[in-house]
Amino acid sequence: MEILIVQILNSIFQAASLFLLAAGLSLIYGVMRIVNLAHGNFYAFGAYVSAWTVGAAVALAASRGINLGVAGQLVLLPLGALAVAALGAIVEPTLLRPLYRRPEEYILLITFGLLMVLEDVIRLVFGGTPLTAGSIMDAMGSIPIGGLLYPAYNLVVVGVGVVAAIGLWLFVYRTRFGVILRATSQDRRMAAALGLNVGRVYIQAFAIGCFLAGLGGAVVVPAQAAVLGMGVDALVQAFVVIVIGGLGSLEGALVGALIVSAVRTAGVQFFAEIELAVLYLIAVAVLLWRPTGLFGRA
Amino acid sequence: MLEVKAIDTYRGSAHILNGVSLEVGSEEVVCLVGRNGAGKTTTIESIMGFLPVSGGDIVFNGESIARLPPHERARRGIGFSPEDCGVFPELSVDENLMIGRWLGEEIVRKRGELRRDPQDQAFAVFPEVRSLLARQGLHLSGGQRKMVAVARAMMLSPTLLLLDEAFEGLAPVVVNRFTEAVLKIKTLGVSILMAESHVAAAARIGDRLYAIDRGEIIFHGPPQAALSDERVVRALRG
Repeated sequence: MEILIVQILNSIFQAASLFLLAAGLSLIYGVMRIVNLAHGNFYAFGAYVSAWTVGAAVALAASRGINLGVAGQLVLLPLGALAVAALGAIVEPTLLRPLYRRPEEYILLITFGLLMVLEDVIRLVFGGTPLTAGSIMDAMGSIPIGGLLYPAYNLVVVGVGVVAAIGLWLFVYRTRFGVILRATSQDRRMAAALGLNVGRVYIQAFAIGCFLAGLGGAVVVPAQAAVLGMGVDALVQAFVVIVIGGLGSLEGALVGALIVSAVRTAGVQFFAEIELAVLYLIAVAVLLWRPTGLFGRA
Repeated sequence: MLEVKAIDTYRGSAHILNGVSLEVGSEEVVCLVGRNGAGKTTTIESIMGFLPVSGGDIVFNGESIARLPPHERARRGIGFSPEDCGVFPELSVDENLMIGRWLGEEIVRKRGELRRDPQDQAFAVFPEVRSLLARQGLHLSGGQRKMVAVARAMMLSPTLLLLDEAFEGLAPVVVNRFTEAVLKIKTLGVSILMAESHVAAAARIGDRLYAIDRGEIIFHGPPQAALSDERVVRALRG
């Protein structure tokens, strides 16, 4: 029984990070109709910046005889997400906007190029050595679940995922900016005719999407190291999530992330050799049954 | 109020408008009539800023707006109801109106018109819209969509309203309702430029009328004179 509870928690832990990543991808597509292939390395960039910041802050504090404590370190984690949001706010108007009037392939090519460039920028800035914010994990310790010990930090991530899902839903469906986002996503010409500055809405939507990707990366680094290539792996998983859930749908991102994480967690336990194959087969089945995904609209 | 001065507009490589000029005065209803493809929608979209003009100028309240983006034109007091209504399908009618109201309130504050509530103006034109507030844009009938589109444009507190084919696809009884609404809008001090295919309907409500054919203005004058003008009749019949 304890093993089942731990596996469910592990699955939700993975789903939380994957949801943040996929929700960002879906939000950007939903509003701007852009498939952002660079999203995976925005996630990785957030992970690296957060791990580096926490590591540097802990080292600096220790050299001065100060103990940052758990709260001090946790507060630093979102800095990676903020850095990615700032990067997104620069990338959208400079690299993407000039291409909106061209065929979609141009956006795919430039975001793919950005994926590659960001990988090298990460290597150049942070080096090839994996970075981690494991000091948070160590400081928070474990809690007993039956006869097993479970990392307390993982429960924090589960909480972040739940808060993010509820917060995003409220943001999109219950706020003024959410109405503006949805209106712009449905008819940007009419939104402009009603006085909305669509260019500004695009920067904000892209930055929020990038923030979510960066936050997804930031929350995993205390538990898993930031390594080169993590962005591409995450991007592939995020695409499976949105194929299952439906591109452009936040509900789809949530359900897709839960399905993918549950299958991966069960796969590690019961069918490790074909874990990824099962995942892709589910994606294929959903595509055949509902080509727009479970929550997507044609 | 609005002066369109010899504008040229292209759609891709096609030269659609060729030196089109027209004027709309204060609290005036001006109709732009022509058959399908004559250049009515292109004229309206050029004024709204969706299509760049390659020559000429568009002056609104003494200011050249020809290089301004659409949202800046809306902020200067130009409301727009497009041919397809442009109602956001996945937003409720209330949310559709809300977007117009936010800007409308801002505009009213800037003008110092503290007593003029954009929402009251919109509902004064189409009180029927109040009963549709909870409904999604997707689930409105054609006539209801047209009403919501005009009410939403009125939420902006415009001084000029651009209506593109406001009567198209409406049942005769609804056309009468829209005719009343246009006259009501005029009494609220809003000027109207209507692009219209039905010259008889345009003649009933227009103070002045322009006829357009193949991207050129071929007639300008009182509506009744248009009905007896050989060129206008021939152009409208195609």
